[in-house]
Order: sequence, then structure tokens, then C-alpha cells
Amino acid sequence: MSGALRDGLLGAALFLLLWEGVVRLFGVPPWILPPPSGILVTTWAARASLLPAMLATGQEALAGYAIGAVLGILLAMLLALAAPLRRLLLPVIIAVNAVPVAAYAPLALLWFGTGPLSKIVMVAFVVGFTVFLNTLDGLLRVDPAGIALLRSFGASRLGVMRRLRLPAALPDIAIGLRVSTVRSMIVAIVTEMLGSQSGLGWTIYEAVLQIDFLRVWAAILLASLLSLAFFGAVGVLERRVVFWR
Amino acid sequence: MTGAAERLDAQLTVAAPPVGRVKLSLNGVARSFGAVRALDRVDLSIAEGEFVTLIGPSGCGKSTLFNILAGLLEPDPGGTLLLDGAPAPSGSLLGRIAFMPQRDLLLPWRTVLDNAILAAEIQGQKKREARELARSMAAEFGLKGFENHYPQQLSGGMRQRVALMRTFLFDREVMLLDEPFGALDALTRALMQRWLLDLWSRYRRTILFITHDIDEAIFLGDRVTVMSARPGRITLDRTIPLPRPRQPSLLTAPEFMALKRELLEAVEEESLKAFAANGP
Ligand SMILES: Nc1ncnc2c1ncn2[C@@H]1O[C@H](COP(=O)(O)OP(=O)(O)O)[C@@H](O)[C@H]1O
Ligand SMILES: [Mg+2]
Repeated sequence: MSGALRDGLLGAALFLLLWEGVVRLFGVPPWILPPPSGILVTTWAARASLLPAMLATGQEALAGYAIGAVLGILLAMLLALAAPLRRLLLPVIIAVNAVPVAAYAPLALLWFGTGPLSKIVMVAFVVGFTVFLNTLDGLLRVDPAGIALLRSFGASRLGVMRRLRLPAALPDIAIGLRVSTVRSMIVAIVTEMLGSQSGLGWTIYEAVLQIDFLRVWAAILLASLLSLAFFGAVGVLERRVVFWR
Repeated sequence: MTGAAERLDAQLTVAAPPVGRVKLSLNGVARSFGAVRALDRVDLSIAEGEFVTLIGPSGCGKSTLFNILAGLLEPDPGGTLLLDGAPAPSGSLLGRIAFMPQRDLLLPWRTVLDNAILAAEIQGQKKREARELARSMAAEFGLKGFENHYPQQLSGGMRQRVALMRTFLFDREVMLLDEPFGALDALTRALMQRWLLDLWSRYRRTILFITHDIDEAIFLGDRVTVMSARPGRITLDRTIPLPRPRQPSLLTAPEFMALKRELLEAVEEESLKAFAANGP
């Protein structure tokens, strides 16, 4: 186990202990803040309905993430190669991206229904922007001397893209991909809250209506764990791919 | 030696016509950047297989000249540039001259071998074949045992040898080397100079070599050319009649000293001009 991971786990354990202690010591009512032990017990007891919800949200987030990442990288490559097109499109793209995601969510529900498709589209949209902007930044920030060298070897623009720009941009692409993991979970859950028949977001929304706050916390716990696992997995992958940093 | 290296050897040495045929010829080649005149009508002619060194104060336009020769920078209209006797317009030079820029520019995600074959790969050579050839040449470039290392793991001298290997493997008759040993310590530099001469005597490329070290310019060159302070032009073109192969003891020989004195005067004059124009 790495030192950072051990410290992180230790910190989390201390935080949970403090939480448990404060709730018990001051007798905080569970509808304001339940103790971690209560949340764990509820999660286990309701596993039959919570696990499928977690699976549904995870699938939506993952599918949207994959689509968004691929489209974001491809669009960035295209706009890095075509400067006139970039000058035309970039201001529009940035303007669309400046509006908070939640504002588009009702439209997505209207166009793509309350099934998984609307969540996948929303996640892809947000991940796509994040990855696109990071990738474009990396592709354009490449050392001009390196580009000159490859051109002196007779490389075409595509050759420079493949052998220099793209690998040089990998650290930036990786940052976009890492940030996007958490965003993909947030967007999937928020969109589920606005209209859905499954998933953790929908579970939270429903539990609030039923005043079942332990169930809300149980869903939040699972969402956090899923998000953390996703973030960690991409981080591990990143360290393998971008080994020279 | 493996078959691949032999093939390269044959390719490089057998076809060499008698020294004396003009390989590269510049006539009134100039370049300005806006109001800044970087290069002022450069006249220079280099014979096949010749080793010409170029020396001049910093900022005088040496790298600009190399960028023009590599096809990366368009010269101002008016001058002529001939490669093998034929006019070579700027765009046509890309991919025809092996250019080694001032910084090594090794790619951190490629191993030593894969950095060395970069140009060959871009030229469409099969990766496996290029690697095999590079592997057979690793010892000659002092990189044996480091083939699969990454640039970050190498010393400055080794990095330069990888960059040089990349330039050699970009199988072109003319090589432009921009201060390749400028960042190395004196001892490493002296070793690399002799090693480069050794390589050159075997592969017989036409070399134009930028340096700001007069000893280096004389020790390496068949000719030393001196460029003036900006706007740069060739103010002195001195043949170096010292016999080859050259040994380190040459550096203290009287005939070497005489040449050095002569060149030092010319360079000092230009450096003073640059100093007066730009300040320290
Ligand atoms: N791309 C460029 N744009 C503007 N000025 C340049 C450019 N490249 C070089 N120069 C200028 O031209 C002059 C010569 O530069 P350079 O050829 O790099 O000198 P050297 O290699 O001899 O030190 C310098 O004054 C430099 O500032
Ligand atoms: Mg320079």
C-alpha cells in the first residue's frame, strides 16, 4: 500500500469516528445527521434495491464518459489541425459550455426521455467539453521547435499530430479525463433527480419524498464510493500511460 | 558488424563522388524579421563531404541560416540557394537535409532507440527494420546497453549522442549541426569532438557545424567561416590545412595557435560590434 493511500484511509477513518462521536455525544436527531454506523446498517439492509440503482447510475456515467471522451479528443484534434475552423467554433463552444449543466438537463429529458439515454447524453456532453478543452490546450501548447524538427524530417501535419502533438498532449488529456470521472457521476445523478425511473439520483429523490433520510445517506454513500473508485481507476491508468511525467 | 549496419555503410560511402563537387551553394541569401535584419546576403559554398564550421557572436543569425537551409524558414526574395547545383525553393528543402537543432528535443515517451529512428520512421521506413539498424549502431554511438532507456535517464552527453544518431539515421548527405556540444562540460565536449570526427571520416557526410568555441571550430573543420554581428554575413572563410586524423595534442601545436590567433581577431571584432550594438 502506498503512503498516500494509507494516510488517506487513516484520515477517512478518523473523520468517520469524529462524526459518529459528535452525533452520539450531542444526540443529533437522525433526520438532521445520522451516524455513519446507521448509514452502513441501512445500506446493507437495503442492498437489494440500492445495488441495482448503483449499477444503473454507473452504467450511464461510464457510457456517457466513454462517448464524451472519444468525441472530445477527436474534435480537439480536428480543431488543432484546422485553425480557421477553430477560430470560428471555439467562441461558440466556450459560450455553450459556460452555462451550468443543470440548465440543459430538462431539455435532455424532453428530447431523450426519462430513460438512461438522456443521462448518457448529458454526461457525454459535459465530459466531452472538459476533455475537449484540456486536449486542445495540450495539442496547441507543443514546443514549436519540436514541430520544426519533425517538419525538417519531412513530416506532414498529420504526422506531426500523431508523433508529436498527441503524445505531448497526453498529460493534459489525462487531467481532463480524471476531472471528468467525478463530473460524470454528478451529472448522471443530477439528471436522474430531474426525471428517471432508476439510479441513485432517483433513489435519493424518492427517499426525500418519503422522508427516509437514512436511505438518502445510503445512496450518497454508494455514489461517493463509485465516484472514488472511478477516479482512482483513471488515476492508476494515467500513471501508466503518462509514465514520463 | 551486422548486415544492416554494413548496408548503411555501403550506402553512405560507396557512392561518394570525388571531394570538390559543390553540394550546397548560397548566394546573397538574406532574411529579415519585420524591421530586424537577421541575415544579410550570405554567400557560402560547401563541397561534398566537407566539414565546415560556422562561428559568430550570439544573435548574429546562425540559427536563422540553419532554419532556411532546413526549409523551415523562407529567405527574403533575391538570393539563390542551390542544392546539388539545382535551385532549391524553401518548401522543397523539407525532408532533404538532416537538421540537428540547438536543443536535443528528444521525446520523453520514446526510448533511446525509438528517438533515434524518429526521422527514419517519418520517412516511411518499417519500425522494426529501423530499430534493427539503430540497435546495430548503438555501440558506435556509445549507447550500448541504453537502447531501452528513456531520455530522462541519460546524461547530457548521451542525450546529444542520441540526437546525433537520429540525425545520422536520417540518411541525408548534408547535415546541419547547431551547437551540438554547447551545453556539455569541457571534458565531455573534447571526447565528443573526436568521436564526431571519427564518425564523419567513416560516413563522409557534408557537415555544416555551428559553434561559439574557436578551438572547436578549428579542430573540427576543413574550413572555418566567421559570421558578422547582426545583420549576419560571412566575413571570413578560412581553410584549415591541418592534417587528419586530428589528435588532441593538435590543440597546443604552433600551427593551431597561429590559426587561432587569426580567427580570434576576426571573431573578437564582430563580438565587440555586437556588444556595442546590443549591450552585454
Ligand atoms: N522567428 C523570429 N522572429 C523574430 N525575430 C527572430 C526570429 N528568429 C530569430 N530572430 C532574430 O534574429 C536574430 C538572429 O537570431 P538567431 O539566428 O537565433 O541567432 P544565433 O543563432 O546566431 O544566436 C536575433 O536577433 C533574433 O532575435
Ligand atoms: Mg542559435
